[in-house]
Amino acid sequence: MRNVAVILVIVAMVALGGTEGLAQREQVRIGITLPLTGPASVSGKAAEAGFRLALDEINKAGGVLGSRMQVIIEDDGNLPARAVPIFTKFVTVDRVHAITGIFGSAVGVSIVGPAKLHEPLILMIGAASPLVERGFADYKYLFHYHPWAYHNLEAVFNFMEFLRTGTGASTIAILYEDGPFGSTGIDDTRRELIRRGFDVPFMEAFKSGSGDFTALLTRAKRHPVDVLFWIGFDADALPIAVQAREVGFAPRMIFGTPASWPVGFEANPVARDVAGLAGWTSASPLAASREFVKKYQAKYRATTEEYMAPMAYTILTTLAAAMNKAGTPDKDRVTAELARTDAETPMGRLRFRPSRLSPSIYQGFDADLWMVFQFRDGRRVPVWPTHVAAGPLAWRWR
Amino acid sequence: MDLFLQTLVNGLIQSGTYALASSGLALAVGVLHIVNFAHGEFLMVGAFTAYWLSLLVGVDPLVSLVPAGALLFVASGGIYRFSVRHVLLAPELNALLLTFGIAITLQNLAVLAFGATPRVVHTAYQITTLSLGPISVGVAPLITLVVSVAVLSGMYAVLYRTGVGKSIRAVAQNRTGAYLVGLDVDRIYLLTFGLASALAAVAGAMVLVRIGASPHMGFAFVLKAFAIIVMAGLGNLTGVLWASLILATGEAFVRTYVPGGGGWAEAVFFLLIFGTLVWRSWRQA
Repeated sequence: MRNVAVILVIVAMVALGGTEGLAQREQVRIGITLPLTGPASVSGKAAEAGFRLALDEINKAGGVLGSRMQVIIEDDGNLPARAVPIFTKFVTVDRVHAITGIFGSAVGVSIVGPAKLHEPLILMIGAASPLVERGFADYKYLFHYHPWAYHNLEAVFNFMEFLRTGTGASTIAILYEDGPFGSTGIDDTRRELIRRGFDVPFMEAFKSGSGDFTALLTRAKRHPVDVLFWIGFDADALPIAVQAREVGFAPRMIFGTPASWPVGFEANPVARDVAGLAGWTSASPLAASREFVKKYQAKYRATTEEYMAPMAYTILTTLAAAMNKAGTPDKDRVTAELARTDAETPMGRLRFRPSRLSPSIYQGFDADLWMVFQFRDGRRVPVWPTHVAAGPLAWRWR
Repeated sequence: MDLFLQTLVNGLIQSGTYALASSGLALAVGVLHIVNFAHGEFLMVGAFTAYWLSLLVGVDPLVSLVPAGALLFVASGGIYRFSVRHVLLAPELNALLLTFGIAITLQNLAVLAFGATPRVVHTAYQITTLSLGPISVGVAPLITLVVSVAVLSGMYAVLYRTGVGKSIRAVAQNRTGAYLVGLDVDRIYLLTFGLASALAAVAGAMVLVRIGASPHMGFAFVLKAFAIIVMAGLGNLTGVLWASLILATGEAFVRTYVPGGGGWAEAVFFLLIFGTLVWRSWRQA
């Protein structure tokens, strides 16, 4: 009987050891949900390219926990109705070790319920609305890499302060699209600009994609302003720049914050010195960024200006590093390692801090991520902040 | 006063784009008696045709409106033969659903082929403006207005001064009667559908200069075009010009003089459709 017990103990020990060994060799699977079709597909495809670049690099370097990392990429079209089933499939069918992607805020909000049910490790690439932040209050496994919307506004305010100091700019006209993207918090934006001493004599909503800004710009022209600040989408960039000229509206600067810009816009003479906000540009002088651009060109034989590409690259490389350090795909231990991340990335230094509205969330980049560029000679030239500026600020649109 | 005049000019200029975008739809509704939901997507295809001709061959969009129109004329002939033709005698809902399906298909094909990001071209006249005292006008929209008036005048001349036009009008008035007097009704339908689509393509090539090309651009124009043909009277080609003028100036004045008008302007066409339909039913009662 004693012999049987000893044998059982030995078998159990071997089995446990064996299981641990198997666990160490278990292939790490990552679920990625992105908008690969639909209006947000430009960002989604850029992110996919970044993820795949990182995946190649990780697997060439030996993979994660001794095995090749595997990613499962699904197209959510930026639609909650598609994202929720994808998220549930990742957790229940694919049994992934972490879920990333999640570009739109509506998608971010929609997965709050399933996330709290299954509690997977989540690394968000976008979803900047504070609604997402509040929805994930008390969630222990969320790493939000992208700045929140209020960080984006902080960057805008800081840039305006920079303009005032450097050029004496004091008056701003605002055009904003009348959907959630442009109009959320717009009154607070105006109040904050006025509180900071700016005059905002003209602020008006527009319908994105309508293509006709002549009447609005004619009205704006009656208020000589230093800056025309517009919040809209890529489809609005050309009409605003062209029609401002048509009606003779001449602010010193046109500054827009669309998530992406039209193809060919940079080469168009009307784009010259138009300013935009970006999380990253390929002209960034950071060493990690230059390295990223080199790798991207080697793999895709092209360059990108979409900041979702380096953002995705950053997410997957930091996750792989954290898993390797943790020595296990266990989400608690990976979370602990990821929280300790302190890395130079193509987008700058990445360290996680408790999120402002929901401190259980690990927040990555903040207002410091953003830079302002101006279109010049067919390129995006960073002009602010000064430590990443690759050229002087042009204060003479037209 | 300057603001009033500039707003009026803005409206007048914009009406050229609207008239060009609506005339093809008016033709399709008037002759084939179908509401072509894919009209906006034909406009989009025209814009992309002009874009690629400009990018790859360096053809100016003003010139490429001819090949864009020709391409859509031929392509829509195929669409007519394989799909539209078969629902013309079916209940109207069938044609509505069919053209809606064609619209969705074309839109998604464009997304797959070109991506969702808008694409822009640049031309020398894109940034050229003309000033008359305090009034400033862009050369590109002025050209659009001139082209629009020329195309509509040409259409009018074809419809009222040629044998083909007479046949088209005969089919529009009474399909059975036209058939009985020996007209090839199917051929007239094919020709009209092709012509209507070609007009959409010409409009697409013209708007390319000012707003660029994107797979989703057609929807906004088709909504405006519906409002215009409802105001003009279904199928009334001559009414398209003044209806476009009313819509465009209405939007311009709302944008200029109504607080928050930038958002409200897009409701003008709904208001005009509503007002026109109520007024017509009141007049008939």
